[in-house]
Amino acid sequence: MLDQLLKKLIRNAAGQTKFVLAVIGLSTALILILSAVQLQSNYYELLNGKNNQDSIANFLVVNKSLTDQNVGSSSLSEKQLTDLKKQTFTESIGTLTVSRYKASIQSNSQLFPFYTDIAFESVPEEFIDVNTKEWHWDEQALFLPIIVPNQFLDFYNFQYSFSQNLPQLTPQVVKMVSFKVTIQGNGQSYHLNGRVVGFSNRISSMLVPQNFMGWANYKFSSTSTLRQPSRVIIKTKDAGNPELNNYLKKAGLITDADKTRFSRYRQVVDFVVNISGITGLLMFTFALLIFSLFIQLTIASCKEEIELLILIGNSPKNIGRFLMKRFFPPNVFIILIGLISVTIAQYFLANYLISKQVILSPYISLYTILAAILVLIVIAVMNYITIQKYLRLQQRTK
Amino acid sequence: MKLTLDQLVPYSLKDKIKNGGSDIWNQLVSFDQGDFIKIEAPSGTGKTTLTHLLYKVRTDYTGRITYGNTVLGLCDEDGLADVRQSHLSIVFQDLRLFPDLSARENIEIKRLLTPQFSSKELVDEMAERLRVSDILDQQMRFCSFGEQQRITIIRALMQPFDWLILDEPFSHLDLGNVQLAATLINEACLQRNAGLIIMGLNKDQYFNYHRELVL
Repeated sequence: MLDQLLKKLIRNAAGQTKFVLAVIGLSTALILILSAVQLQSNYYELLNGKNNQDSIANFLVVNKSLTDQNVGSSSLSEKQLTDLKKQTFTESIGTLTVSRYKASIQSNSQLFPFYTDIAFESVPEEFIDVNTKEWHWDEQALFLPIIVPNQFLDFYNFQYSFSQNLPQLTPQVVKMVSFKVTIQGNGQSYHLNGRVVGFSNRISSMLVPQNFMGWANYKFSSTSTLRQPSRVIIKTKDAGNPELNNYLKKAGLITDADKTRFSRYRQVVDFVVNISGITGLLMFTFALLIFSLFIQLTIASCKEEIELLILIGNSPKNIGRFLMKRFFPPNVFIILIGLISVTIAQYFLANYLISKQVILSPYISLYTILAAILVLIVIAVMNYITIQKYLRLQQRTK
Repeated sequence: MKLTLDQLVPYSLKDKIKNGGSDIWNQLVSFDQGDFIKIEAPSGTGKTTLTHLLYKVRTDYTGRITYGNTVLGLCDEDGLADVRQSHLSIVFQDLRLFPDLSARENIEIKRLLTPQFSSKELVDEMAERLRVSDILDQQMRFCSFGEQQRITIIRALMQPFDWLILDEPFSHLDLGNVQLAATLINEACLQRNAGLIIMGLNKDQYFNYHRELVL
């Protein structure tokens, strides 16, 4: 009741149109800010979410870029390795050990004869993207497990088999075929059975277990000195980190360019987020300013009414409370508009990206909601301070 | 609640007061709860100034005003709001009404500060007695000064109080209406066991005064 009478006395000073314009301005600012937060959290979700674990993106095989100057000395120095390990983007680092002996594989079956010289590599198990119980070797083992790059099989199935008039092979068939592996070096040779146990997307070499590599290198290598590795594998949270890209470039290292393609996306995302965020913050500041001018104007234009209200026994606190009730609820409404807009946008974005094989949560992130609450608190504090300040100021200048 | 005025000297009347002759300015005066006080104040002696000091509209004075244990000059804004809601009521000479609100709304905005004290029906009853029922829903700015004066009196009687301050409250009323208003005010004060301070230019017999002072 009393509020209704107060409402009659204390009118909007600047008119409805300007008020609506200010509301639109503040809503736009809010949508920009919340979108920026949402985009950023979407990006982090893509990087860290379980649904999008892009095995290619998170493991990078790195080697020196080979030029005329460094041919023959492509190994990475100890200093380079420790430096690489120190970088913030590096989670862990594994060296690829190459075989220092001659090796060949040969078919056991007359039906399907083949023979080829090959070379092996090995890498710590944690860096391998094939999960199999058969990845195990010791001197009593019946066969040597080998992991083959997926590209090899593709190359065979879609090019080689046609040209040689050979049958195509599924991964299952290849895994069943046992073949003879021959190792030569130091004037000795050694035969054992080998079998493909998996296909890797991550590392483009023929992989054998690390302990086999150690044993064989020790036994069959002509040089006893350990060589510095020339290729390492890096585990990183974000292969798209521009910092990583820049570091590799500066150190003269290269990796599969495709794997750092996120770097470009990331720069675009950062750019969009920054522009949207900065514009949003600027607009927000101005909108807040306009709103406090509104409050100021209203109080100034109702100076006499407020004075008389206090004279007949209202406390300034009560009038402040009334003004707060008057000016704050539109802000809650604005925040809701902002949150709903971003929610709808997120829903459509998630739906659209599903068709592009990118899985994104269709709901807005917790951070976006927190940002909205934070903005609401800022507005509330700002309104409160303005109201108190101008009520007092007016009484003093009475 | 005892009202004490202790050596009051408003800055604006400093020179005049030096000459003495006032029962109030620069004196120690106290009034007991329930006293009816008439203050006779010829023009220029500071009648309205005293009203404003008693209601803390102005603070440009030396001396001290005390209601019971409350020193008026030391009241903060909440304390002052409490004093004005429950202990001290007033009829200003210049009325101080909201011109854009109706007569009823002007009374309501006061009544709703202490709604448990006076009912909505009381407004109609008092309006009936002061013969202003027909203008209750008129906008204040279209009412005559006499009507406005009676609305202001009703507004002042909506709240509990220990003291009622009246600054020439009947200046625009005919004798018949003065009688009605004085009776109403008298009843209200007796009901609350409240005191009354009325300022006027001349002597009068509106109430049975306990004391009559000259400003």
